[in-house]
Amino acid sequence: MKPRSDYELSLWRRLVRFVDGETLADVERRAEENRESDAKNQQMADAEAEKRFEQEEKEDREDRKRRLELEHEKEAKSLLEKYKNWPKEHGVKIFGRLYAVMAVLLCAIVITTLLVTVSYLPEYGSPDNPNNNEVVEKYNKDGLYDTGATNNVASMILDYRAFDTLGESHVLFVAAVCVMILLRLELTKDGKPTDVKRAEEENDRLYEPKNDKILQLSAKILVPMIIMFGIYVILNGHLSPGGGFSGGAIIGAGLILYVNAFGFEKAKRIMNRKNYAIISVVPLLFYAIAKGYSFFTGANHLESGIPTGTPGAILSGGLILPLNICVGIVVACTMYHFYTLFRKGGM
Amino acid sequence: MEWLRFCVVALFLTASLGMAVISVAGVFKFKFILNRMHAAAIIDSFALLLAMIGVAVAYGFNFATVKVVLIVLLVWVASPVSGHLIARLEVTTDKHLSEECEVRE
Repeated sequence: MKPRSDYELSLWRRLVRFVDGETLADVERRAEENRESDAKNQQMADAEAEKRFEQEEKEDREDRKRRLELEHEKEAKSLLEKYKNWPKEHGVKIFGRLYAVMAVLLCAIVITTLLVTVSYLPEYGSPDNPNNNEVVEKYNKDGLYDTGATNNVASMILDYRAFDTLGESHVLFVAAVCVMILLRLELTKDGKPTDVKRAEEENDRLYEPKNDKILQLSAKILVPMIIMFGIYVILNGHLSPGGGFSGGAIIGAGLILYVNAFGFEKAKRIMNRKNYAIISVVPLLFYAIAKGYSFFTGANHLESGIPTGTPGAILSGGLILPLNICVGIVVACTMYHFYTLFRKGGM
Repeated sequence: MEWLRFCVVALFLTASLGMAVISVAGVFKFKFILNRMHAAAIIDSFALLLAMIGVAVAYGFNFATVKVVLIVLLVWVASPVSGHLIARLEVTTDKHLSEECEVRE
């Protein structure tokens, strides 16, 4: 409580001062001190208030910030709610339509391109065609006499241009070797399968049909026929359409069917690693010896020392029959080997 | 006589084509593998038979007819077996098989 400003001059105050023995100057000094401390107090209070105010403001700001954040979050959530199912409801539909349109467009473009290209091709059988040159004429006219094979294709790929086929069969072998490098699983030192391989075989049993009675019965009927047909195609390569490549592919398919039906254990009796190495390398070596030097002699190089025989007989055509057998063996082995490599990493 | 043969051939080939169309539609329509396999088998069995009969009638009876019969027989042996294997694989690998069909435990 603050006294009035003229309190010190009042009668009562003058009497008290008289009794206490004070003068007016003392009072004024005290008042001055009071005022100073008051001012100090005021200042301190002001500072405190300001501080409080600042803090409050700060809290306020933080509050507002939090509220804003909450609002943002809520907004984002509602947006998410709104668009969460968008891909399912609309996106897939849009993509599906786009996909269909693009597929049809692509098909149309490819078809048009092919048709346009075909329309620019020379007419079939026209004498001015570029493939109608003296090489074809020579092969067609002299093929039977030169090679003794009634199948002109066989006389071409295995006699006139045997070095092409030599390269082709070696390409097959090299492909098999490359796949082997990538996929083959190693054996342990004493020749037993490693843990990895055993695991593969275990896994194999899970999904592949093993000891399936139906498959085994049909394989029993079909495999001999398929392999016999393949042998027929190979042996008749110089007489009728067919030859080493197609016959070898048929035999390979028969072997794969056999493996599927009866498992690797039984197939190993014919086709294990050792046999595979011998069976695939020996024909290639024979082929290379029989036709390799054609590279150096040049020209047709048809003299093999084997008589051409009567055209149409099974033993005719000079080297064509043995070479067909070689190619057939290589192709069959390569197909079977590919299958075993991809299925469980080796025979 | 010639037109009668043509009519028979046309009938057989058209029926075969119709079967093939039904089969392809089924393959695209059904959702589950076993249903689709049923649809796909129509081509292997019935459409092939009709088409081969049509071809055999068109070219008369000769050695090629025997080959055609052999083709049909081969496919009839091979197709059910492969279908059986596919179905077996599906049954082995599909974890939600009971959604497709009744499963007897």
